[in-house]
Amino acid sequence: MKTISRLGHEARLGWTLVAPALAVIGLIAIFPLGWTVWESLHLHELRMPWLGQPFVGLANYVEIAKDPRFWAALAHTAFFTVVSITLELLIGLFLALAMNRVFRGRGFVRAAVLVPWAIPTVVAALLWRFIFESQGGIANALLVDAHILKESMVWFIQTATAWVPVVLADVWKTTPFVALLLLAGLQNIDLSLYEAAAVDGANAWWQLRHITLPLLKPAILVTLVFRTLDGFRVFDLIYVLTGGGPGTSTEPVALYTFNALLQNLRFGYGSALSVVIFAITFGLALLYVRGLGVRLGGDET
Amino acid sequence: MAAALLGGCEQADNKNETVLTFSGSALGAEGTLVAKQLKQFMVLHPDIRVELQRTPDDASQRHQLYVQWLNARVGNPDILQLDVVWTPEFAAAGWVLPLTRFSPPTSEFFPATITANTWAGRLYALPWFADVGLLYRRTDLVPKEPATLFEVVADAKRTMATPRGPRFGIVWQGARYEGLITGFVEYLGAFGGRILDDSGRVVVNRPEAVKALQFMRDELYNSKIAPLDVLTWHEEEARYAFQNGTSTFMRNWPYAVGAMSDTSSRVAGKFAVSPMPSSGEPGGHSTATLGGAQLAINAYSKAPDAAYELIAYLTAPEQMLQRAQAVKQYPTRTALYSDKRLEDALAIPLDAVRRAIESATPRPVTPIYTELSEILQIELHRALVRQAEPQDALNSAAKKIDALIERTGMRKLMSMENTVPAVAR
Repeated sequence: MKTISRLGHEARLGWTLVAPALAVIGLIAIFPLGWTVWESLHLHELRMPWLGQPFVGLANYVEIAKDPRFWAALAHTAFFTVVSITLELLIGLFLALAMNRVFRGRGFVRAAVLVPWAIPTVVAALLWRFIFESQGGIANALLVDAHILKESMVWFIQTATAWVPVVLADVWKTTPFVALLLLAGLQNIDLSLYEAAAVDGANAWWQLRHITLPLLKPAILVTLVFRTLDGFRVFDLIYVLTGGGPGTSTEPVALYTFNALLQNLRFGYGSALSVVIFAITFGLALLYVRGLGVRLGGDET
Repeated sequence: MAAALLGGCEQADNKNETVLTFSGSALGAEGTLVAKQLKQFMVLHPDIRVELQRTPDDASQRHQLYVQWLNARVGNPDILQLDVVWTPEFAAAGWVLPLTRFSPPTSEFFPATITANTWAGRLYALPWFADVGLLYRRTDLVPKEPATLFEVVADAKRTMATPRGPRFGIVWQGARYEGLITGFVEYLGAFGGRILDDSGRVVVNRPEAVKALQFMRDELYNSKIAPLDVLTWHEEEARYAFQNGTSTFMRNWPYAVGAMSDTSSRVAGKFAVSPMPSSGEPGGHSTATLGGAQLAINAYSKAPDAAYELIAYLTAPEQMLQRAQAVKQYPTRTALYSDKRLEDALAIPLDAVRRAIESATPRPVTPIYTELSEILQIELHRALVRQAEPQDALNSAAKKIDALIERTGMRKLMSMENTVPAVAR
């Protein structure tokens, strides 16, 4: 009896101690999320008070499902995410392997590689915009001089070419981060494995395929999780570079949502969009963790 | 700075004093002018104290701020500076007071500036200054003002073909933003088309509109007088091109006159403005898109009468003249255009400006303008970058605008034209 009451006492003390933390989480995470869901079930147009704020059930979600611009935005987001992450992983792996070697000035190189990552996205986007913007811009001048282009072109008025600066800017900016994550993974690999392989006569390619990549898998998966979720929320880069154009052919879901919520002040519909994005990113994260067995922290395989 | 200055006039405790807050452009020379005029007003009205409330100079940021305040029913600022396309939205929402009971002298203003501020048969704001789309031309290359759009194309081609002639024939604002609509409205009027008709029906996919859009597209791909770059350009990029002497014509707002008259400008003294010409086809007319600022009274204001006093003062002829002198903004009062003082103030031939303002056309006067404009921006841009044919793009725009009208209950609101929406007090 005594022990039970004592346990109860300890449990109560425990709850009391975590209560402030729980309250904070509730206030800044759960409450706004709940409110967003609640808003998404209403018609609420800040600009049109004459419509009132009636409860409309799932009408906003139905509108999303029927909106081709939303599906197109989803496709653009997926395209951007897949292409940029693939490139970042490939180049990042190459950089990580190079930086993992022992050479003079390694510390300096490792720091220098991080510079693009340290530049604020908006600033980086403006820089890339400047490079690609005008017909007399740097990109055009270089490509014409190198005889890759016959004459200057306007990059931002065709869908295919408008993606080039967007993807380039993202790859340029984020590859260092990917490289660093992979480098950390590389350093966890026991060097004696390579020595043993070398003794057995395995060449570098064999070592990469059968030692490095399998043992790097946890690091690669963690990188994938981070980058997929980031890629899915892409906003500032595209906002500055193309504004989602030409037309809406490079518009990602985050930009579309921003537009509905903050430009058109459609709180109900915009909230529904936010909930949908939340659900998608949450689903992706779950997929990675459950399906691919990514361990975020904790012991390594 | 200005706020501190005005705040300095504060007296210990004057119980009879009415306090007004005024929000509006308060930067640079304009800020100095506004501060000066508010001070003069307070000298004339010792019982009213005016405080300046700063708002962002960026129009869409100011809009967002106003909408948030008014949703929260905040009575400050008492006087709002509205962009020309906001008045119907604010009126329909019940956020600004109808000015009818003050009997404003509407007949003294240019009719288009009054139309733009009228919703459901009532006036909700007074036009403070007008902006109009203008056709800038290099007088050394094209001495005679072109009478039609086709003459513009011919002149542009001729000048581009002359040795060492400018690289571009015409530059305009073709990026996907509001500026694209302002340009389109001018071509649209030139061919006799409209976006909405008088009863609020969508007519933007009629043949005249298709012709207008096709004409803009032909400037890019057919006659090639406009560089493809304009599809990413706003006002300033166009001005740089024209100011550096790389273009024969330019579509832009009046503000460019000041910058380009500067001695560092390559075109100083070598350019003139005129209204955008008609296409010359039946039904077409010279059209200048109307922009500019309006003053309206916050529906939650505690001192609407004093607020109107201030609006009446700021929109009086004398204050408009001061504005023209200080910041070269165009008055909205007809009579001033026969006043020699205005010509001196603007330092530009008044005749061209008057003709432009007389051909001024408001963008669709509807509470749902912002969303309507977004739909149109996207479809026009799609047609101009050749993702869609003009007819298809405009059909798609018409369909989406119809759906927007349906969704927002506009039809019901428009059919109640005479029964004024209740103003929430």
